[in-house]
Amino acid sequence: MQSNNGFYGEFGGSYIPEILYASQQQILHAFEEIKTDPEFIAELKETWQNYSGRPTPLTFCKNLTEHFGGAQIYLKREDLNQSGAHKMNNVIGQALLVKRMGKKRVIAETGAGQHGVATALIAARLGLECTIYMGAKDVKRQYPNVFWMKQLGATVVPVAEGSQTLRDALDEALRDWSSSHEDSHYLIGTTCGCAPFPEMVAFFQSVIGEEVKEQSKAQFGQYPDRLYACVGGGSNACGLFLPFLEEENVEMIGVEAGGKGLELGQHSIRLSNGLGEKGIAQGFATMFLQDKSGQLQDTHSIAAGLDYVGVSPIIAHLAQIGRIQMTYAMDDEVIDACSLLLKKEGIIPALESSHALAGAFKDAANLPKESRIVINLSGRGDKDIFNVAKAMNDQTFPEFLEDYLADYKEHLNNDEEA
Amino acid sequence: MSQLANYIAQKRQQKPILSMTHVVYGYPTVQESLSWMTRLLEEGVDFIEVQFPFSDPVADGPSIVEACHVALEQDLDVDSFLNDMGKLSRDFPDSRIVLMSYLNPMYRYGLQKLAKRAAEINILGLILPDLPIEASANYIAACKENQVDPIWLVTPVTPKARLEMLASQASGFLYCVARSGVTGHSSHEAKSKQTAMDEYLAHIKAHASAPMGVGFGLRERSHIEALLGKADIAILGSALLDAYNQGGQEAGIKLIKDLFQN
Ligand SMILES: Cc1ncc(COP(=O)(O)O)c(C=O)c1O
Repeated sequence: MQSNNGFYGEFGGSYIPEILYASQQQILHAFEEIKTDPEFIAELKETWQNYSGRPTPLTFCKNLTEHFGGAQIYLKREDLNQSGAHKMNNVIGQALLVKRMGKKRVIAETGAGQHGVATALIAARLGLECTIYMGAKDVKRQYPNVFWMKQLGATVVPVAEGSQTLRDALDEALRDWSSSHEDSHYLIGTTCGCAPFPEMVAFFQSVIGEEVKEQSKAQFGQYPDRLYACVGGGSNACGLFLPFLEEENVEMIGVEAGGKGLELGQHSIRLSNGLGEKGIAQGFATMFLQDKSGQLQDTHSIAAGLDYVGVSPIIAHLAQIGRIQMTYAMDDEVIDACSLLLKKEGIIPALESSHALAGAFKDAANLPKESRIVINLSGRGDKDIFNVAKAMNDQTFPEFLEDYLADYKEHLNNDEEA
Repeated sequence: MSQLANYIAQKRQQKPILSMTHVVYGYPTVQESLSWMTRLLEEGVDFIEVQFPFSDPVADGPSIVEACHVALEQDLDVDSFLNDMGKLSRDFPDSRIVLMSYLNPMYRYGLQKLAKRAAEINILGLILPDLPIEASANYIAACKENQVDPIWLVTPVTPKARLEMLASQASGFLYCVARSGVTGHSSHEAKSKQTAMDEYLAHIKAHASAPMGVGFGLRERSHIEALLGKADIAILGSALLDAYNQGGQEAGIKLIKDLFQN
């Protein structure tokens, strides 16, 4: 979606310290160039295809459809990307841009670690130095991803400031960029931040919706009636929705994280129930969860990737003008939706994506049988194994962990002695 | 001429360079921060730059970030902050207070209202590091109307044409950032390039009619001496906070004397 000088209605813009002005302008110009450069687009498509496995399938879910007895349910399989999430679409695009700008190092923030891993993967492949900022709390919650980032050669820096989550990681990435802008690129993971990041990330993610357009025509001869996506920073939602913006008959539903409840600190709902308020922080204007004096507040979601205090200015704008409907799903509904998909379709969804499932499942039974809905399965759930086991109160998992730990320690001891 | 620039010009007749010392409001508590500000003003600093804390201070390094987060463990509101500043500015008419914050808390308070209140309590300069001049039309108008100065920042990597534009727009004083990066010592420091200070400041001076303040990374007497004749104000931020953290007010005052006394 084309911005108006970086703005989408009253949201977006570029509110950055003066030190970043030149680097921001450089990205702005580089992005303007590549948008229409056939050579760049060809390389992008080639890398998407041969490195990430695009196009991803549009999968009809017969069992789920019968289970609800309403709309026909399709999944857009972003879980099948290299790295297991849609994050790959964006990091490939930006990393190719980094090459073109002649920079040698990338900095990224990560919450769940999905964007961190995706960035570390492409950095390894393209020979870029890579530093990932991650809230100290998230480092603990998502250690397997930290492990892989390190193995891929990235430096992972735990951020112990503030709430020690994604928003603090983003602040720290901006601070690094303020020092290192001359040879480093800030590779933001979602449709947030100063212009042109929201527009650029949405541009790279729009491959999702473009493919759905073709696939839906091919599979059932028309566009879907309704689209569902979870909304953290908003990139997978922008990716699915924006190509359909002009199609008035296509309804769009964004699902935020309801967490444990609607009290401040228990959720990440910025766009429903009047919980978020307009603010300007982290480089852009959007709806933030904040107190009356404008201090950003803590958030919660069972899905680390949705646990963010702001939201894409593009989504905030489209929600404000009513083009997108916003709803939310609670932690327990999300686990139920995840469980249902496992049992009915043999697909393991990420907890982030399970929010989109939960949102769609609430509507499915009440929609006409001939209607078709597409849910963005933004990522696969392997990374969530510990959290899902805990949420499902699995009794045998602790035993496995204890045995594994004992064995691990013995192995380390033996190694030391040898 | 702006009231602030006027004040600077007059003071400069007696001193080769003026001191601006930075304090985080509410750190470690509101009372202690006010006592520290009072002490600084009693010692005769020319300016205090008071930072109203924000949860996400992206232009600051670890010392100031930590201070802001500690301060925010209390409920701080802009109205009481401005009342406190008003009292200080009445008690110390020979010095000036400059207000610094990030945009969001001030945006929530209302930029129009902020400019008006600032003028009422004789705060003549406002620094909002994440509000670029391009997005400032209303803010600039509000400042003009109330005769307070929006203080703009320039940096060693600000493109030439833009630097000249900012220098020519500057009123009150122009805040010249001495190097890339965030305030104070940080793990990011090594990544930033060295600045050729003399050239940088001379270039700004050629285009700015407003006085010049220099900040970021000033910690030693030699840093201040290097600015004599090239700038009007030396801004002491994280170094002062670090000294305060290590040895309280006395250590802070000692640092100021070491740096500024001739
Ligand atoms: C699988 C998955 N889906 C969704 C998200 C949320 O991000 P966005 O709203 O930008 O798509 C994340 C973020 O980490 C993710 O890993």
